[in-house]
Amino acid sequence: MKFVWQTILACSLLVNVTAHAENDVDKTLETLGLVAKQLNYDGIFSFQAGNKVQSIRIIHYADRQVEIERLISLNGVTREVIRTNDMVTCVYPEGKPVQENHRPLGRGFPTDLLRRLHAASDYYHMSEGLEERVANHHTHELVLQPIDNYRYGYILKVDKDSQLLLQATLINEVGDALETFAFSSVEMNIDIPKQLLEAEIQGNEMTWNRKEQMERRHTIAMGQKTSPWKLVWLPEGFELVTQKSRFKAMNGAPVEQRVYSDGLSSISVFFEKIRAQHGHLHGRSFKGIVNAFGTIINNHFVTIVGEVPAMTVEKVATSIQYIDGENQ
Amino acid sequence: MTANHNELLSALVDGELQGKELELALNLIHTNDDARSQWQRFQRTSDIMHGHSLSLDNIDLTTLLSQRLSQEPIYSSASDDKTAKIFTFTKPIWKQAASLAVAASIGALAVVGVMNKPENQLIPITTQVAAVETTAAPIITAQNSKRWTVSEQDVEHRLDTYLVDHNEYTGASGVFSYARVVSYDEGQ
Repeated sequence: MKFVWQTILACSLLVNVTAHAENDVDKTLETLGLVAKQLNYDGIFSFQAGNKVQSIRIIHYADRQVEIERLISLNGVTREVIRTNDMVTCVYPEGKPVQENHRPLGRGFPTDLLRRLHAASDYYHMSEGLEERVANHHTHELVLQPIDNYRYGYILKVDKDSQLLLQATLINEVGDALETFAFSSVEMNIDIPKQLLEAEIQGNEMTWNRKEQMERRHTIAMGQKTSPWKLVWLPEGFELVTQKSRFKAMNGAPVEQRVYSDGLSSISVFFEKIRAQHGHLHGRSFKGIVNAFGTIINNHFVTIVGEVPAMTVEKVATSIQYIDGENQ
Repeated sequence: MTANHNELLSALVDGELQGKELELALNLIHTNDDARSQWQRFQRTSDIMHGHSLSLDNIDLTTLLSQRLSQEPIYSSASDDKTAKIFTFTKPIWKQAASLAVAASIGALAVVGVMNKPENQLIPITTQVAAVETTAAPIITAQNSKRWTVSEQDVEHRLDTYLVDHNEYTGASGVFSYARVVSYDEGQ
C-alpha cells in the first residue's frame, strides 16, 4: 500500500515536472526533494573530502507519521547517527567519549538538498547537464553555478525515476571538486525491517531534539538586544539566519555568533571580547574547504568561518563596523 | 618598540590591564607588527612557564643547525691531525643532511607562514622545496588540510570550537554536514 501511495505521489509530481519544463526548475526542485523524503531506501555512499574517502551506509524509512534515517560509518571509527523526525541520536563505541561538540544538526541527508535549492535558486544559475549512470541508476545532472565567486557551486546527479539525489559535488570557482558524495549502490522502494533502523553498536549515546533547539535559538535571538556590530558587505542573498550570545567555557569570555546564509552556503561571524592570555587568528586560515579570517575590532576578536572561498570571509571581515548605540 | 611598550605588552599578557591601558595595548598590537610579534613571544613564554603548551612548531632548530653546520670548518683527508681521529661524512651525506634541514625549516615556515596568507605562500614554498631536491612531505593544500593552517595550538582549538558552532547552525544549509560528522574521526 505504501509503495502504491509513493508511486502515485511520484508520478503526479513527475507530471508536474514536465508541465513546468525548464523555466520552472526551482519550483520543481522543491517538489522533487519532497518525493525523495518519502522514499524507502538502503544504500552505501562514499564521501570524499581532499584525500580522504569515507563509506557510509544510509537506511531511510518514511511513512505518514515518521521519517527515520540511520547512517553508519563503514570505515574508520565506528559511529552511527539515527534521526527520527527531529530527534537525532549519535552513537559512539564503548569507551570512547561522547563528542558533544560534533553534533550533526542536519535537516536530513542527502534528501534535504533539493528542497533547499529552491530557496537559494536566485543566487545560482541552474542548468541541465549530461545524463549519466550512478550506482546503476540513470540520472540527470543539474549544474548550479554561483552568480559570483563568493560561494561554491554544485553538480548534482538525480535519479530519473525516483528523483533521489545520488551524487553531489561541491566545486570551487575554477571547477575543481572540493567534496563529493556519491552512492555506489542503493535499493529503493523496499521494505525496511525495524531492526535495520536500530543502532547495532553498543556504546555512548547522545540524543537531542533539533526542533526544540531551533525554537530555543529563535527565542534567544528574539530576546537579544540590538547587536553593536554592522556588516557593511555580504555576498548577495546572504541574510541573517540566526544569532546568539553565550559564554565560552575556555575563558568565560562572551561570544556573539551570527550566521548568514543564502540557503546553501553560509558563514558564521564570531565576536569575542578580548581578554588576556588569548591566542587568536590574525588573517587567513583554512581547514579542508572551510575558510576563516580573523581580525581585531574595537577590543574584540572577530572571526569569520564558513564553507565559502577565502576571499569571501576576508571581504566580510574587512567590512565589519562597531556601531555601539546605533541600530543597524 | 620602546621599553614602555614592552611593559605594556607584558602586562597585557598577564591580564593586568584595564580601561585605556588595555585599549592602548590592543591598538598597539593591532597596528604595530613588531608589537604583535613581541606580544606573541610574551604569550608563548607565559604559556610555557605555566605549562600550558610547548609549541615545537615555532622552534626552528633545523635552520639554526643548518647555519651552524655551514660555519663549521671543512675537514678533508689532507687534514693533518695526529692526536685525534675525526670521523668525516662524505660530501653527498652533508649535502643531503643540509637539504633536509632546509626542507624541514621550509616546512616549519610553511605552517607558520600560512597564518596570514596561506594560499599565496604555499606555491612559492613548494617551488623552493623542489629547488633543493629533497623528499619533503607534501605541502598542505586547501583540499586536503584536516587541521587549521595555524601554528599555535590554542588558536587551532579556538577555530575548531568556532567551526563546531558554525556547523551546529548550518546543518540546515551545509550540504555535506551529515557526511562530515559521520565520517569524523579522531584526527579532526
